[in-house]
Amino acid sequence: MLRLLVQELTFRRGAILWWGLGLCFFPLVYIAIYPSVAEEMANLADLEIYQAMGVSMGTFPDFVGSILLVFLPLVAAIYAIINGTGTLAGEEEDGRLEMLVTLPLPRWTILAAKALAFSIASFLMLAIVGVVSLLVLNGMEGDIETELTGTQLLISVLYTWPMVFAMGMLSLFLAAFCSRRRIASIIAAAVLVVGYFGSNLAGSTSVLEPFEPFFLFTYIDSSGEAVLNGQRIEDVLVFLAIGLVSFVLGVIFFQRRKLTVGAWPWQRGRIE
Amino acid sequence: MSNPAIETRGLTVYYGKHRGIIDVDLTVEEGEVFGFLGPNGAGKTTTQRVLLDVFPPTRGHASIFGKDCQVQGVELRKRIGYLPGELALYTNMKVREFFQMVEYLRGENGTKGHWRELADRLELDTTRKIRQLSRGNKQKVGVVTAFMNRADLLILDEPTGGLDPLIQRIVLDMVREAKADGRTVFFSSHILSEVQAVCDRVGIIRDGRLVAVHGVEELFARRMNRINLIFDLLPPPEAFQMEGVTELDRGSQSILLEVRDNLPALLAKAARYDVRDIDTHNVSLEDIFLAYYSEENGGGHA
Repeated sequence: MLRLLVQELTFRRGAILWWGLGLCFFPLVYIAIYPSVAEEMANLADLEIYQAMGVSMGTFPDFVGSILLVFLPLVAAIYAIINGTGTLAGEEEDGRLEMLVTLPLPRWTILAAKALAFSIASFLMLAIVGVVSLLVLNGMEGDIETELTGTQLLISVLYTWPMVFAMGMLSLFLAAFCSRRRIASIIAAAVLVVGYFGSNLAGSTSVLEPFEPFFLFTYIDSSGEAVLNGQRIEDVLVFLAIGLVSFVLGVIFFQRRKLTVGAWPWQRGRIE
Repeated sequence: MSNPAIETRGLTVYYGKHRGIIDVDLTVEEGEVFGFLGPNGAGKTTTQRVLLDVFPPTRGHASIFGKDCQVQGVELRKRIGYLPGELALYTNMKVREFFQMVEYLRGENGTKGHWRELADRLELDTTRKIRQLSRGNKQKVGVVTAFMNRADLLILDEPTGGLDPLIQRIVLDMVREAKADGRTVFFSSHILSEVQAVCDRVGIIRDGRLVAVHGVEELFARRMNRINLIFDLLPPPEAFQMEGVTELDRGSQSILLEVRDNLPALLAKAARYDVRDIDTHNVSLEDIFLAYYSEENGGGHA
């Protein structure tokens, strides 16, 4: 499996670099502009909609949290969906997976190598963002008055990884389960979008409150407190659990998948 | 006693409602080159994919070298070189990187670097990116991949597709050499001339069913001769109505017959009608193949 993992990581070299650098847009722009918008941001905290959503931008950690810990995992999760579905269903549809499964490799190792490669790649991507954030913050030491250190910022960026991991594994499972990549991508994207808007709206309407535990972004704390001290461990565990359960389900369905046929599980092996 | 290289019993695959293959019973002996013939959609690729455990059969059983394809697939695939009909490659890689990757993933079996010799032989530039290659050169990549580990069993789906005649000949030579080494080749094609050139036996698959398996020589010797009889005075239409003989065409002074049996009786009868000349035609595998597929014959030669 190590060989396949090395290979899968090699395939992701470009993605790690380009997605990593692309995601640096958030720290580069938002930290850099903070000194000029600090006052304005503090006033935004008075708006009803932000109060309902529990968003505060009064301090630098609050500002960073409301941007970095919301949009960064959101965009990184898009990578997770593209990669998670593409690495399995996408490769199956374009025929490359057939080449791989006809080599002397057990199927579960193929999935495990892909899952591990995705996990490492997404972590490295976020690490690039974290390091860039740290460098930008340290570079602007004189311009921003804050108790937040570069290291704390780096760690808070890395805390978004469990959510990206969960989305990646969910996408991988959906790719093994669904008949086509497009369907898997649509379902995964729906989980992400509903998870984002659902958790935001749950704070402003009581109708959605009972459903709050089902929205992914419920488990990401984007407050300044979380930027300073990290995410709650139980929230991190929720994401890790989602990821691991999805991975196990992915292995089960990939073992039974009729590759190149692309049928749903209940259609596989049926005679009519 | 050695196991057959490939053995299938009652092998059946359905894709939901659609037929893949039905009750395919096939035996390919070790060391032979077996041609698997059939038009597109007949079930050739489906059979190969079951052998490689790309998917399991709906029912039936397939084994290679005595081992179950679905249970011991990983172990078996160490001994198999496969060229898929629908070749998909990692287009961002250089050719050499692709071969190194496959070699790396297969693990060491004493054939390290053999791809270099094969690539040279097929005049394949391994420094180029795969996406820059023509269809023929991509096919060469597939051929090298199948042959690079000197596998005991080669499963080749349309190996010469997209190749120029010179390279086609080299690929067929490689198949012959594999046979000379005692390796087995399961060779699927609808280019009959190449099957005729390299195969020991052929199986014909039609609408998912294996309708015939014959030695190539036997097929030629047994199945058909075409004889054109020239007469001064044409015999009556019923003259050659006999078992194993079919009248294909009748001219003003000639009759074209397809002869599967009863050749001595036919010649004796022709002599009675004062036959002036006899032309025999070489029947190609294509003619035989088409006969299996013609509606008139109903494929009923098996």
